[in-house]
Amino acid sequence: MAVTAGRPNRGALLPSRVSALTGSRAGSLAIFVARRILWMIPIVFFVILITFFLMHQAPGSPWDKEGGRQLSQVVVDNLNAKYGLNKPEYQQFLLYLWNAIHFDFGLSYQYSGKTVVKLIAEAWPYTATIGVLAFLLIVPVGVGLGVLAALRQNSRIDYVTMGFATFAASFPNFVIGALMVVVFSVLMAKWTERAFFLPAADFGLDDHLIMPVITLSLLPIAYTARLTRASTLDTIRQDYIRTAWAKGLSERLVVVRHILKNSLIPVVTTLGPTFAFLVTGSIVVETVFNIPGIGRAFVTAVSSRDYPMILGTTILFSVIIAVANLVVDVLYVFIDPRVRLT
Amino acid sequence: MQRGTSIRAVALASAGMFLVAACGGGGGTTSENLAPPDKQILRANPGTEPNSYDPTQQTYSYEAAVGAQAFESLLKPRADLSDVQPAAAKSYEVSSDGLSYTFHLQPNAKWSDGKPVIASDWVYGYKHLLNPALAAGYVDPFFDGTIAGAQNYGSIDVSSASAIDAFLAGLGLSAPDNNTFVIKLQHPAAYFKWVVTLWMAAPIRKDIVESAAGGSFPSNDTTKPLIWANDVKTIIGNGPFKVSEIGAHDHVTLVPNTGYWAGGQKLQQIILYFISDGNTAYSKYQTGTLDIINVPTADIDVVRGDAVLSKQAHLLPQLTTFWMSFNTTKPPFDNPKVRMAFAKSIDRIKLTKDVRHDTDQPIQSFIPKGMAGYDTSDNAQSYDPAAAKKLLSDAGVSASTLNAFKLLTRNSTGSKTINQFLVDQWNTNLGLNIQLDVIDSKTVTSRIRKGQFDIYGPDGWGADYPDQQDWFDIFTSGSCHSLNWGCATLPGYDDLVKKANTELDQNQRNKDYLTAQKMLIDQAAVAFIYQSYEYDLIAPYVHITNSAFDYQYLPGSQSYNTAYITAH
Repeated sequence: MAVTAGRPNRGALLPSRVSALTGSRAGSLAIFVARRILWMIPIVFFVILITFFLMHQAPGSPWDKEGGRQLSQVVVDNLNAKYGLNKPEYQQFLLYLWNAIHFDFGLSYQYSGKTVVKLIAEAWPYTATIGVLAFLLIVPVGVGLGVLAALRQNSRIDYVTMGFATFAASFPNFVIGALMVVVFSVLMAKWTERAFFLPAADFGLDDHLIMPVITLSLLPIAYTARLTRASTLDTIRQDYIRTAWAKGLSERLVVVRHILKNSLIPVVTTLGPTFAFLVTGSIVVETVFNIPGIGRAFVTAVSSRDYPMILGTTILFSVIIAVANLVVDVLYVFIDPRVRLT
Repeated sequence: MQRGTSIRAVALASAGMFLVAACGGGGGTTSENLAPPDKQILRANPGTEPNSYDPTQQTYSYEAAVGAQAFESLLKPRADLSDVQPAAAKSYEVSSDGLSYTFHLQPNAKWSDGKPVIASDWVYGYKHLLNPALAAGYVDPFFDGTIAGAQNYGSIDVSSASAIDAFLAGLGLSAPDNNTFVIKLQHPAAYFKWVVTLWMAAPIRKDIVESAAGGSFPSNDTTKPLIWANDVKTIIGNGPFKVSEIGAHDHVTLVPNTGYWAGGQKLQQIILYFISDGNTAYSKYQTGTLDIINVPTADIDVVRGDAVLSKQAHLLPQLTTFWMSFNTTKPPFDNPKVRMAFAKSIDRIKLTKDVRHDTDQPIQSFIPKGMAGYDTSDNAQSYDPAAAKKLLSDAGVSASTLNAFKLLTRNSTGSKTINQFLVDQWNTNLGLNIQLDVIDSKTVTSRIRKGQFDIYGPDGWGADYPDQQDWFDIFTSGSCHSLNWGCATLPGYDDLVKKANTELDQNQRNKDYLTAQKMLIDQAAVAFIYQSYEYDLIAPYVHITNSAFDYQYLPGSQSYNTAYITAH
C-alpha cells in the first residue's frame, strides 16, 4: 500500500506529497526510505497474525486428504506431535514468531523434510523471471500505445489501439492462454508436422517463455495503455502545453519533455502494484503453462493446509508489495520535482 | 499399435492383465524395431510431485510412480495378479504356524551406488518406516495385525528416544545373515506376502541417511532422518532405475540402475512430469513431447472422434470401486431397506454412459474386476425403481423426512456431475427432493471424519495389493470414522472378515470373503456404483505391458524395466 511515513494510505492514484522541508533532498530521501523499511516490521507482524489465525480457522487439517485413503488417527496424532500442532494455538503462534525473527520459517507439511525457504527459493525464480519479462514488455508497449493513441486521438491508430486494449482487458487470461496453446502449440505442431511449435508446458529460458509472458502481459498492457491515453489527453489540454507549442518547440520536445513527464505520474503509480502482481505469480498462467512458480505453490499450500508454506508465501508477498510501493514513492521524487518526502 | 486394442483390452481385463502395445511391424521379434539408446526415453505424467523421495514417507500413487522405480520391495505381484513373484527376494518361506517369514535376498542385488544390498539394509528400512516419530502415512498395514511388536505403534511417546528405541528393538525384524531377512508376525496373516509388495516397504541405507544428516541422531529426531531424500546425490535405491535429476515441481528424470540384479532395462530415461492440468498434458501429448497421458474428461469424445488419436487410445481397468455412503448412525439410514431403496434407484448404465463418457463401468458389487474375489452373482442392488419405491413404503419412511437430508459433495467437477445425476435419479425414481451440499474438499473430509453427513460420495477404494483383506477391512466396525464413513455395522461381519484374514487356506478365505461381500450388498452397507477405467493415450512407439494394478495415469508403470521405445 502507498503509505507515507506515519500517515494512512492516501489512495493509489495520488502521489505522496508532503510539504517541503528544509535540509538536503538526498538526506530526507534516506530518512524516508529508512522509516518506510522500519514500518514494514509492524506490517509483516499483522500479516502473520491475521494469516495465522485465519488459516487455523479454515476447516480441515493438513492431514485430511482430498478423497481416497485417509490417514489413520494414530498417524495423524504422530504427525501433530511431529509438527507441534498438538500445542495450543497461541503457543504455536509465539513459537512461529520467535523462529521467524531468526529467519526460520519452518518445514513444509506437504513436502516432508523440505524447508519453506527452500521451497520458495525453488519456485520464486520462475515466477520472478516471467514477471520481470512481462513488466519489461508492459511498460514500453502499454505506455507507447497509450501515448500514440492520445496524440492521434480519434484517428484510425487510436481506434485500433483502444480496440485492442478493450479486447485484451475483456478476455480472461485463462482463455487467452488456452487459445494460444491451441493455436501456437497444438495446431502449429500439426501444420508443420512438429517442425515448429511453441512448447505447451515446462519452463526454460527460451521459447518456453513466449506464451506465458504474453498471456501475463496482455491485461496490464491494456490497462496501462488506456490509463496513459487518458492521462496524456488530460495533459495535452493544459495551458503550458499550448505555450510550448506556441514557443515553436518541435513535436518531439513537447511530447517528451512537457507532456510525458506530467502524464506519466499516474501511470507510475499503478506500475508499482502491477509489478508486485506480476512477480507474486499468476495461478492461471502457472497452471495453464505448468510453470512451477510461487503462485501455484501458494494455491497448493492453501488447498493442502500447509500452514508454514502459507505463512511463508504470504510474508513474501507482503514484503514485495510494500517494497514495490516504496520504490514508486521514491520514483516520484525524480519524476515530479514538486514532491517532497518526509 | 493395432486397431481395436481397446476392445481387446476390455475383453482380456477379466484375465487381469493384457498387452497394450503390440509392436509396430510383424509382432514376435522386436530387436530390429528398437529405437537407438538415445531415443529410449519415456515421458509420462503422474501429475504431481512426490511429497517426499523417501519411499517410506510416500502414500500417493503419484509418489509410487517414482518410489517404486527407485526402490524395489521384497516381492511383487505376478502379471496376472494371481499371486506374488520374486523381486528383491529371490524366494521366501513361511513357517508352518504362519508366524515367521524368511526372505532370501537376490545375491547380486546392488544399490545404485554399486554397493551390495544386505539384509541389515532391510531391517533398517522397515524400522525407518515403523518409527512413530517419523509418522509415515502408509504404515498401517505393517503394524495393524502383522509385524510382531508393532501393535504398540500407536501408544509410543514420540518425544522419547528411549521409548522409540525400545519399540523398534522389540519389532520382529532380523537379519541372521547378509542374505536373509526374517519377519515375525503377531498372528497368522495369509495376506502378509502382499503387504511386503508395497513400495514403501523398502530397504534404506543407514550410512547414507546418517551422512546426509551430518552424523547419527536420536530416534525421536523428526527431520534429520529425512534429509537424504532431498538431494539427488543421496537418493540411492535398489530399484531398476535411479533418480538422476529433479526439476523441482516440474519433472523428475530416472535412469537405469546399472547394478540392478535383473538388469536388462532398455529405457535409458524415464521423465515423469508434474503437470497438474490435464488439458496442458493433452496439448503436450499432441505436440509429441509426452508419450502417455490420461485424457481429460471433456476431451474423451474428441479423442474418440479423431482418426489418429482414437487409435492411440486405451480404456484400461483400474482396481478401483466407487460407492455412496449412508450415515447408518442416523435414522432412517439405520434401516437397510431405506439404504437398499436408494441403491436400487440408480441407473448405473446411464450414469457411466452419460456422465462418465462410457469409460467407467457399472458395478453392483464390491471387489473390482481383475482381482481375486470379483463376483457379480449377487444383484440385490440392481436398478429397479418399482422395487425401490416399495422398499421405502415398507420401511414407512415419508418423502418429507428424506427431503431434509443432503448429499455431501466435494467441490470438484467429477464429484459434482456424478452427484447431480444421482440426486436426480433418487428424486425422480423415489419421488423425493434431496439437495446437494457442495463444499470444499478438505472440509468434506473433516466432516466425514466426524460423521457429520447424511449421504456422502462418491467414495472409493483402489487396491493397495490385489488381496481381499485390503478391501473387506474397510467396512469393519473398527473402521467407523476412518474408512467406513457411514459406520455400517453388520452383524457377524467383523468376525467373518477377521477369520478370513488369518485363515491360511486360500479356498476357505475366498469363500468367507464372498459371504462378507454378500452381506455388504444385501444389507446395502453402501450403494456400489461403478468401477473406474482410465482412458489413456499411449504413443504408438511406446511398448509397454499394462496391468490393472498400474499406478494412476501411468499405464505400464509395473513393467518399466522391460518397456522400450520402437523406432519412429
